[in-house]
Amino acid sequence: MSTLHARSPLGYLLALPASLWMLAALVVPTLFIVWVSFWATRTFSLSSPLALVNYAKFFGRSTYVKLLVDTVQQSLLLMAITLVLGYCIAYFIVVKVRRPALQLGLFLVLVIPFWTSALIRTIAWIPFLGVTGVINQALLFLGVIDKPVSAFLYSRTGITLAQVSFYTLLATGPVAYTLRNVPPSLREAAQCLKATPLRVFWRITFPLTLPGVVIGQILVFLNVMADFATASAIGGNKYAFLGNLVILLYDSGQLPCASVIAVLLMLSMLGGVAVLLKMVDIRRLGVA
Amino acid sequence: MIAWRRRQRLATVGLGAVTVLFLAYQWFPMLTMALLSFTGPDGGPTFPMRGVSLHWYRELARVQTVDDFKPPMVRSLLLALTCSVTTAALALMAAQAIRARFRGSNLFFYLVLLGIMAPGLLVGFGVAVVTRILGIPLAWYTTTFAVHIVWTLPFGFLTLLAAFNRFDVRLEEAALTLGANRWRAFWRVTFPLVLPGVIGAGLFGFTLSYDEFARSLFSSGPDQTLPLMIFAQFDRQLQPTLYAIGTVTTVVSLAAVALFSLSFRIVRQRTRTTATEPPR
Amino acid sequence: MTGPEPDATTSPMPAHDLELKRVTKRFGDFVAVHDLSLVVEPGQLVCLLGPSGCGKTTTLRLVAGLEEADAGEIWIAGRRVNATPPWQRDIAMMFQDFALFPHMTVGRQVGFGLEMLRRPKEAIRRRVREVLTTFEIADLAVRKPDTLSGGQRQRVALARALITEPRILLLDEPIGSLDFSLREAVMLELKDVQRRLGISFIWVTHDQNEAFSLGDKVVVMNHARIGQVGRPEEIFERPSTRFVASFVQGHNVLDGAVESVEGAEVRVHTPVGGFVVPARETAPPSPGAPVSFSVRAAQLTERPGVEHRNRVCATCHAVEYLGSVRRYDLRLEDGRSMKYEQFAAGAARIAEGEQVTLGWRPEDAVLHLPADGGA
Repeated sequence: MSTLHARSPLGYLLALPASLWMLAALVVPTLFIVWVSFWATRTFSLSSPLALVNYAKFFGRSTYVKLLVDTVQQSLLLMAITLVLGYCIAYFIVVKVRRPALQLGLFLVLVIPFWTSALIRTIAWIPFLGVTGVINQALLFLGVIDKPVSAFLYSRTGITLAQVSFYTLLATGPVAYTLRNVPPSLREAAQCLKATPLRVFWRITFPLTLPGVVIGQILVFLNVMADFATASAIGGNKYAFLGNLVILLYDSGQLPCASVIAVLLMLSMLGGVAVLLKMVDIRRLGVA
Repeated sequence: MIAWRRRQRLATVGLGAVTVLFLAYQWFPMLTMALLSFTGPDGGPTFPMRGVSLHWYRELARVQTVDDFKPPMVRSLLLALTCSVTTAALALMAAQAIRARFRGSNLFFYLVLLGIMAPGLLVGFGVAVVTRILGIPLAWYTTTFAVHIVWTLPFGFLTLLAAFNRFDVRLEEAALTLGANRWRAFWRVTFPLVLPGVIGAGLFGFTLSYDEFARSLFSSGPDQTLPLMIFAQFDRQLQPTLYAIGTVTTVVSLAAVALFSLSFRIVRQRTRTTATEPPR
Repeated sequence: MTGPEPDATTSPMPAHDLELKRVTKRFGDFVAVHDLSLVVEPGQLVCLLGPSGCGKTTTLRLVAGLEEADAGEIWIAGRRVNATPPWQRDIAMMFQDFALFPHMTVGRQVGFGLEMLRRPKEAIRRRVREVLTTFEIADLAVRKPDTLSGGQRQRVALARALITEPRILLLDEPIGSLDFSLREAVMLELKDVQRRLGISFIWVTHDQNEAFSLGDKVVVMNHARIGQVGRPEEIFERPSTRFVASFVQGHNVLDGAVESVEGAEVRVHTPVGGFVVPARETAPPSPGAPVSFSVRAAQLTERPGVEHRNRVCATCHAVEYLGSVRRYDLRLEDGRSMKYEQFAAGAARIAEGEQVTLGWRPEDAVLHLPADGGA
């Protein structure tokens, strides 16, 4: 602590711009959303009385509730897939690959798509999934099917396929980070203590990477819950998740209803974060 | 080969196969899109390709009244550059603030990180609500800019925190004992050494803003950024022009990454010391 | 007691605890261990001593099963274990950084080995309590490793390793990471444990003092090969190769060429003069052959008498005071260093810059031939 004395007022000053920005552009809007969700009117009206009627309406409409359930289901599905896939990839790159150059190379190839637009990657899936798309053509070519399968595009399967390609990285990254911090000597010590490789994994490696696993799962959860672009592009008009509903209601001017959905999304977010805070301490991962 | 080694080898091969297959799975769509963007003038949005040409790229470059991608692209680039600089500056200040460990710095830390965890949809929607209520007009260089920073700042912040973590405080202390005041010690010693982190923050600021659309959806007003324009095309008939712009924009993103990485490398090389690593 | 899975063959001979037969290990082009053979008897404390990169840690890991031998055989307790994985070998290992499991309490991890052997829970609990008490860390049972001091961690690592009653305990520089003041005490403690339990220890270190105070048997290694095996006194008094002589503290090594061989003596010519060294029983060298010889710093005298037929002139460069002994760094005519140990009592101090004549008896020196290996 040198250019800054601990607890000096300079600390507050430096923190001010970022704090103000986050408060104004993030916290305040959130509060507004909550406020609007309690408006008793269907449309925009600043002087509206506050009531729970919009929430009641939401839970009253079975289609809306089904949408909520669908969205949660989709999130859980993605969480499960990315957990296994992400861990396998992270384990391979961090533990099994010996040469650092190869490790770095693989990691770069994995991560580079993150630096491009998610939107573009979503679009890129369309020619893949359609009836005349690449997957169908490949399957036809290989003789696996006789007729093109229309089940990919405009379907839940297609959305899931695309989302797996987007979000597995979110699960892989944190796991890879925590895996790197497990010294090989721990695994070797366990082996010398009569533990077979499988038991070394379950009793030593996996528990020590649990923080990374949890963070990854939370990230995937948050992203899939709020995902609307994939459903739009690949689901066509047939599928929607909560995110799409918010946009729909917003576009048709029903702010209070849209806000209700937004609040429900936020609550599920907070639920996820609560789980995170219980299971791991982010700051101890060496960030701050 | 011994039995258990064979099993180990098998596991490695299996995991390796999964990894490689996944990487292909992740890249194929983009590569396909890039490929399809070169389809001939009669080509449609899917295979088979009818000829190879730059037709669709030429379509992009043409001046059009409707569906002109050029202005949104320019807006996106400008916005990205501004976000880059702003993110770097704000993140640097925020990271320095954390070092001061003032009361409430814990809370501050989580406040900044909130930006990563809040989904774009909600943030964008929230800003839309606020602007609607307060009567603030939406524009890409005000409201969208504000919302982008909320997203990019936490990434830049984490990058700089990591950079400061590797930084040896003793170097600053040495500067102070040699007579520099705090300001000069910071600029002459600390800043050059955390510059790679600053560049990293700038990189996040640029690419995350350039690619961002969920937040922009609600906050951008009449003039669209490039991703928004692309998003709007979803409802229309899919044309290879979309692939062309998709490829172009991806190339821009990758070029930005390459550029930032290069400057990162250069700065690192120049400040590489022969002194011992700080104790961990 | 663990039963290592019966491997292909079992030796009919009475079992050594460990036998390495011509073991070789390569990492790519680099040969870490070359054609190494070694025997460890039950209850021995064997030290593998050598500079970094000499192959001692690789040898240890080969015994543990963490590395696979490219050639040769490894026998533990009469069973060939080349194909046996570490978790089935009758060994335990103490790592340099202790490798304590950060997410487990002391009690949990000490009992880990027994858990892996699927002992009943109550038996494990009892045994853990026993072992913790033996090592005087019973009050640490619910603590996590990151709250322990270095000395405490070392004890936990030891308890964890010994609870499964292995045949051999492998130790990789076990006291290297401790504070200097702790090292001696811990070293003696470990030696004491070894004596009491009667199991073999294979202890890897680069510190000669450690190896010499501990080992029943010291194995000096260099460049993937064994230089010499023997009791500390043997190695100290009669180093068998030039490398061992120069590695072990307190020896002076001079290089030269054979001038002539006269009966039981060899005349060696060096840049600083000619010297007489006893010939060895086998294969006397031929004139002109390059040789070296070593003589210990304590065997020199600055007042050579008639029997000190080897003489050399040297100038005092520096002196170290080591209690009852003064150790001098003297420089020969060609600039090379010569170490001389002088008992302080009754002897005048040699001043810096002073010239003296050092002498030693021919029989005090040892001849080394390049063919001895381990240069």
